[in-house]
Amino acid sequence: MLKKDLLELCLLQLLSGGDKYGYEVLTPLRAAFPDTQESAIYALLRGLGKEGFTSWYMAPGGGGPDRKYYRLTPAGQSRLDALRTDWRHMRDAIVSFGVE
Amino acid sequence: MNRAKEAKPLTKEQYLKTFSRAVRWRLPPQESEEAIADYRELIFQPERDESRLAEELGEPVQAAHLLTDVATYRQWLKVFAVLAFGLFLLAKWTFTAHSSFTYFLGYERWWYPVWVMAVGMALSLYWFRRHGQKNGPMSKWLVLALAAVLIYGVGTLAWNWYVMSPGFLNIYRETYPHVIPWQIILQRELIINGGMVCALIALAGLVLAKCYDRRWLALYVLALTVAALCGFIIFHMKGMSLDYPSADMIQSYLFARLIPIGAAGLIGTGVALC
Repeated sequence: MLKKDLLELCLLQLLSGGDKYGYEVLTPLRAAFPDTQESAIYALLRGLGKEGFTSWYMAPGGGGPDRKYYRLTPAGQSRLDALRTDWRHMRDAIVSFGVE
Repeated sequence: MNRAKEAKPLTKEQYLKTFSRAVRWRLPPQESEEAIADYRELIFQPERDESRLAEELGEPVQAAHLLTDVATYRQWLKVFAVLAFGLFLLAKWTFTAHSSFTYFLGYERWWYPVWVMAVGMALSLYWFRRHGQKNGPMSKWLVLALAAVLIYGVGTLAWNWYVMSPGFLNIYRETYPHVIPWQIILQRELIINGGMVCALIALAGLVLAKCYDRRWLALYVLALTVAALCGFIIFHMKGMSLDYPSADMIQSYLFARLIPIGAAGLIGTGVALC
């Protein structure tokens, strides 16, 4: 599992908790992966949309202009499940070496 | 100087402007508009600290690069290089009325601008029909630019029709080389300046077609056609002998070739607009 896959896992996990607008997605991910710039996370988010794992809609923002909200699609949910399984396997493999 | 640049971070507006320019050059128009709208939303969040913009989001050009389909972008750069080189040749030929290719190719040089036009039209139409995108209603600036180039092209051809008419050429033959009539000077200026300016307009059309809407390619095709016609005429003028008995036939000889070339350009312009 590469860092990109970990980022993708976290991003899809974040969206599984409910629809979020761009800044709401990017900020916690950047806090969790400080050496990754938001542009890279945005590129990943856009790529997921192109692959059909996420979709978007416009909705009123908090008093300001409309915001673009991202939501997980059924294909995205399946992708999240697959990534979760990969992550568990990797975690177990690492733990088996005594890494905690 | 670099230190001074680093010391002054980009404002939100400057960041978005640089990003927009970079992303428009790299992505198809609709995708770039979407990315710009997304970045506008991200940048202008009230919580966003302007002084940390590049640190958080990355440099604007780098951010645009991350969204780029590298294979398509590289292909575009190659296509652009070929088309821009063609325009450079047309501008050079109309300005100098000379081509070094004559030494290698040896073929009648007045056809060189037509070859450049054919390659430019075919390559650009193929690439933009495949990778370009329309973007909203047609720009009124495009209509105005097309009208201006068309008027210039038709005007230049009409003037050449006049100065190449047997009646005018016979008068010219009698006075040359003592007097060069103003009609000939105007013809030369129309061709030289028209060729160079149209090559520049075609380049602008190409860039606008990539960045905003593929229908701007119509401007490239039309201006390319006018530049090629100017090149065709000026090469002929340079090789023309007024002492040759068939000088009376120059007008019909030249226009029998100019009209089909112009018609091909107009068809290409129409295809680019569709």
